Amino acid sequence: MTTAPLSQTAFARPARLLALPLILLAAWEVSARAGLVDPHLLPALEDVISRGEAEIANGELLTALGASLARDLAGFAIGASLGTASGLLLGFSHLAQRLFGPTLRVHRQIALFAWVPLIAVWFGAGEAGKIAFIALAAFQPSLINTWRGVLDIPARFRELAAVLTFSRLDFLRFIALPAILPAIFTGLKAALIYAWQATIGAELFMTIAPGIGGVMMQGRQLFQMDLVLLTILLLGVIGAGFNLIANLGETLLLRRRTS
Amino acid sequence: MARIPPQLLTQSLQSSAALAADQHAALLLGGYHPTPTGDALMQETITEAGVVRARIPALDNLAAKDHQQPSAVYRLAIFVVTRLGPGLILPLVLLAVWQLSATYGWLPDQILPAPALVLDVLQERISDGSLWDDTSISLLRVLRGFTLGAGIGLALGGALAASPRLHDYLNPLFLAVSQVPILGWVPLLILVIGIDEGLKNSLVALSVFIPVTLGTFQGIRDVPFAYREVGQVLTFSRLQSLTTIILPAAVPAIFTGLREGLSNGWQTLVAVELLASTEGLGFQMAYGRQLFQLELVIAAMLVIGLIGFLFDFLLGRIETHLQRWQVAA
Amino acid sequence: MKRTFLAVLLGGILSAGAAFADPTVIRVGYPGVGVDNQPYGYGDTASLAHVGKYLEDAFKDNPDVKVQWTFFRGAGPELNEALAAHQLDFAAGLGDLPSIVGRSRGLKTKFLLPASEHGSLYLAVSPKSNINTIDDLKGHKVAQFRGTNLQIASDAVLEAHSLTEKDVKFVSLTTADGLAALTSGNVDASFGGSEYLDLQKRGIVKIIYASKTDAPIFGTNSAFFVTEEFEQAHPDLTQKVVTAFVKAAAWGSTEANRQQVFEAWAKSGVPVESFAEDLQGLSLARENTALIDDFIKARYADKAAKAKQYGLIKKEIDLNSWFEPKYLEAALKELKLENFWPTYDANGKKLTDGAVESQKQAAAQ
Repeated sequence: MTTAPLSQTAFARPARLLALPLILLAAWEVSARAGLVDPHLLPALEDVISRGEAEIANGELLTALGASLARDLAGFAIGASLGTASGLLLGFSHLAQRLFGPTLRVHRQIALFAWVPLIAVWFGAGEAGKIAFIALAAFQPSLINTWRGVLDIPARFRELAAVLTFSRLDFLRFIALPAILPAIFTGLKAALIYAWQATIGAELFMTIAPGIGGVMMQGRQLFQMDLVLLTILLLGVIGAGFNLIANLGETLLLRRRTS
Repeated sequence: MARIPPQLLTQSLQSSAALAADQHAALLLGGYHPTPTGDALMQETITEAGVVRARIPALDNLAAKDHQQPSAVYRLAIFVVTRLGPGLILPLVLLAVWQLSATYGWLPDQILPAPALVLDVLQERISDGSLWDDTSISLLRVLRGFTLGAGIGLALGGALAASPRLHDYLNPLFLAVSQVPILGWVPLLILVIGIDEGLKNSLVALSVFIPVTLGTFQGIRDVPFAYREVGQVLTFSRLQSLTTIILPAAVPAIFTGLREGLSNGWQTLVAVELLASTEGLGFQMAYGRQLFQLELVIAAMLVIGLIGFLFDFLLGRIETHLQRWQVAA
Repeated sequence: MKRTFLAVLLGGILSAGAAFADPTVIRVGYPGVGVDNQPYGYGDTASLAHVGKYLEDAFKDNPDVKVQWTFFRGAGPELNEALAAHQLDFAAGLGDLPSIVGRSRGLKTKFLLPASEHGSLYLAVSPKSNINTIDDLKGHKVAQFRGTNLQIASDAVLEAHSLTEKDVKFVSLTTADGLAALTSGNVDASFGGSEYLDLQKRGIVKIIYASKTDAPIFGTNSAFFVTEEFEQAHPDLTQKVVTAFVKAAAWGSTEANRQQVFEAWAKSGVPVESFAEDLQGLSLARENTALIDDFIKARYADKAAKAKQYGLIKKEIDLNSWFEPKYLEAALKELKLENFWPTYDANGKKLTDGAVESQKQAAAQ
């Protein structure tokens, strides 16, 4: 029996995955302890963590988190559902596509943040405005992906439906929808990410309210880098969490696919 | 074969060249190169289905004369109306609604200034050159950031696809970084880099880099194994395999990444210019808002949208050009 | 008081002036937030009215009336947008420039009473900077919260030193962002208010200009405004609101309350000592006066003229029809404060004495 080289043992892969993050963490610790970096600019890891604990203890962090997540999910739900519905409409209706297509393509290019003044007027700059902004951000990717998903239904699927003399409804139910589902999911995943990005943007550009964005600004203005780094870590963790959930959902719901 | 009048003969020689070019293109799509038969009067063409069709270009020419090609101007007009027409309906409707809102005050005119006012502002800024100044500054920033981000993204995406080991090492870090919303980096970067060009370059580059890396990685990784096998069978070198097989197959995904990257970059630039800048289109929007002159905001929005559209259009064209070998499914 | 609304929305629903049928909600806006993003203001009587809950007290026996404060991070400009969208009834402490800009764009408001006068403008630089006077600013990057009353005041200062906006690269940053930018060296100088005093104390910045040592034109002002819409619909409520504001102003002008005034302002995150330093040797009454006298009228006329001159507004504004002193006069009568504050002429010279000053003298003894 030949022994597998070290690089192929069971530990090798996890080790590789963790290597870089661990090295970075170590470097961070070392530089903080050895005073290599100005502690104002890069506080030590334990400072960041203890700040995190403190903020959780006094309830600030959790309130902020809760508020941001609530906004995010509300906006995402509205924007993604509207986007998916529109994508289906545009995909299946040639007329709709020719009427709305070019406008939507241009709209995609206008920076989201340009809409802030108008949204502030229509919905106020408070909660409603922020949620509207987030919904707008979630709308775009779900629209594009669903639309593309419908367009990409292979011609032979439609031929099959014709051969089997499916009604339109049956075609939708049995053939089209399962074919589009992966695309819709890609859209939802993207919408989730964009919605989260927009949540932060909304909190930075609109009126003050509890939220992670506010905590970040607070840290920046008061020059408390530990707070800033803490919020960045949190943002990353939450983003990763969303991604994980989305992937999980995708695998679960699409596991019956064979191709 | 009927006796062909001499005039038609010379005509046919000329037109057959033109027709040959069309056929050439048609056959290329069908994946077959025609071999010249040396006979100018009659050409054999072998279509995809293997049917031999003999063509007598001279006679074709006769037939074509009956259906004269309409003039170029007429064709352009038809094109504009039928292809662009429907797409213009919605914008025109929106414009009409906008004008009505201004006339009847549905929305306060401080918030939605009349179209005429926006037009005025645009004219003003074009004539005094300030629009060009701001636009070119913003454009340069985006191009710099895009080149940086896309360059690194393409290289990294390719490297990650090529080496699973490298992917293991770098992917966790990449995932972590890509989860943080771009604006989330602003407080950190402002404190570290400042609010100058460095901030804009790095944020734009970052927002471009992420989708481009992902697109390149997925595109290359998802090249079907069958394609690679062909490369092996034909004993291609790695470079040949890369340029002839892998990259062309990965083009759709790579370009999706590039388009998303460019779109992201443009949005990020505007957002950063909104937050901290002294010139540029995003700055104009912020400035207009500060001075309660939202026509400046709208004017800037229009220019931004137009440029973004052009970017997307260009990239789409390039993608189509690179994909011309594709057989339509 | 803030509420979170659950959004029921479809794009394009125009909210037609959200005055709910019952109860009546009085929507008050304040232009600014504290330095650590807290919904508190400072430097004017509006913030005192907010902290002391003067408005809420005025309506505590009236269950049909609710008071709602909104603090705008984007200061005056953002508040103007809310006014334009009919989302506010009162603007409390709106700065001179934004109110002038709003009026020139057709916002229909009425000037009720001032919220602050002689507001300080400071120019702060990094301690090691070689910028020592305004003239040295040429070619440097300066942070300035554009669209706020800081802008017009700083533009006036620049003009006095023959500098225009083209000689200096202005970066528009909110007050707090400007602070951060200055301390991290992103800008070479920053115009701001009393929030810089603490930084100077900590050695983080050096203040090289203070408007209080200069002519009155270089100070900032702010005032209370009501929308014509609300005023016409609810003149009685408007009167009650004005009376509450005057009460707050009277409290804020009484020297005996000096420490509490500073502490109320300190809720914004700016330390008490900064206000003490800012107002050292100056009376509270001077800053927190509630009177519409020649001085404040002249200040606004000045600012409006300068705004036009610097190209910040395109149309001139009609000042005379803007001031609406009748509510103020009624309030003064009701609270028996007709002679409480001194009046000043257009140049800042005192015309009549005020009772508050003898109080000060009494307190000082």
